Amino acid sequence: MIIIKLRGVWHHYPDASSWALKDVSVELGSGGITLVAGHNGSGKTTLLKIAALIYRPTRGEVTVNGRDFWILEEAEKIMVRRRITYIHEKPVLMRGRVLENIMYPLRIRGLGREDAAMKAKMVMRELGLVDLADKSARELSAGQSQLVAIARALVAEPELILLDEPFAHLDSWKSGLVAQALQARMRNGVGIVIASHSRGELPEGLEPDRIIVLEDGRIRETRC
Amino acid sequence: MSLALSEILDVTIRSLYVSGLATLLSASWSIPAAYLLSFRRRVGVLEAVVESLVGVPTVLLGLLLYMLLSSSGPLGFLKLLYTPHAIIIGQSILITPLIISTCYRALRVVAAPYLELALSMGASRSQAMMLILRESAPGIAASAVMGFSRAVGELGIAMMVGGNIRGSTMVLTTAIALGVTRGEFEAAIILGIILLALTIATAVSMKASMGVRAL
Repeated sequence: MIIIKLRGVWHHYPDASSWALKDVSVELGSGGITLVAGHNGSGKTTLLKIAALIYRPTRGEVTVNGRDFWILEEAEKIMVRRRITYIHEKPVLMRGRVLENIMYPLRIRGLGREDAAMKAKMVMRELGLVDLADKSARELSAGQSQLVAIARALVAEPELILLDEPFAHLDSWKSGLVAQALQARMRNGVGIVIASHSRGELPEGLEPDRIIVLEDGRIRETRC
Repeated sequence: MSLALSEILDVTIRSLYVSGLATLLSASWSIPAAYLLSFRRRVGVLEAVVESLVGVPTVLLGLLLYMLLSSSGPLGFLKLLYTPHAIIIGQSILITPLIISTCYRALRVVAAPYLELALSMGASRSQAMMLILRESAPGIAASAVMGFSRAVGELGIAMMVGGNIRGSTMVLTTAIALGVTRGEFEAAIILGIILLALTIATAVSMKASMGVRAL
């Protein structure tokens, strides 16, 4: 079980003239679906990247199960990050085959090539990607790339999955596959955080337990 | 001059050896420097300085090195003047700004998104670095090829610190210059064609190998 707490978090990008996040306090963790809603530029991506322990906030505190993440030793940080995964809005895929992309998190965890391939293929089957295994990742459509990025995140079996506008490039069939895959993880206690413009963009079956509405970098309201 | 075939081969191999080693040497510090630069947000002035040094005249660098390496210079005790090592050092310095600048451009595009990806996947620092270098490999290879082309085609340093000694420090460019000075244009043209073929072949083979690996 993992609980990420952001307390009084402010974030400012070096070249920006205004704050991307202003005094945000929120708790995200295992179990249930949290929707982070808001317009473009409201701070959704920044919030997710801070919660995913990728960005260090300019001000404020980020704790993981009660411990301040940013003062942890490097080895501890890596172990904590391996329990969380973040999926970019625009998929970042590596050069090489689709299978290699999906195997990546397993390979960096020290899993052998064959075991990693076997596990990767199981997730690929779930998301209808088996036929693309040997295709170059650079030849994929936007929707296929998004599915590969999601598969790569799921294969690592994280306790918390943060998805930044995951359905933007997906048709209803692919969205349905992703929804089923996320529901299956949720039943096992995995927490899901989805950033999206509105609740209406989520596919059927993905009912958020909580909605956090961001506006101009601040949490405007939280609904359960 | 009328170079024999064996001598043409000797000069060509020496050029490959000298400039190849200079490229490897320069890459060994330029790629890490470019990697570190790619994570810095404000590099405007530094970038401008490095880019302006790309076009530094080779004779100027040759002159500075000559003064350093000559017997009365501060590094004269090393006895490197008029040796292939002096050319290697000179060429590696010459191409450093070029490799840093082109490598930095390749890494800058890749560094932020792939660092984020690596962190989000739970990669260690070294795993993140490997991922970033892997993703920018075609750009890094291209910068090394550009560095090699600049090194193998330069004349000033090879002439001033190498001395164009037959059988010892004569490389393709200095041999061409000597041929022209002596009015032996046929030999100079042959050497020129070899030089051109070398630079093209290096670029093509590097591109082909990167293309195969990308699949």
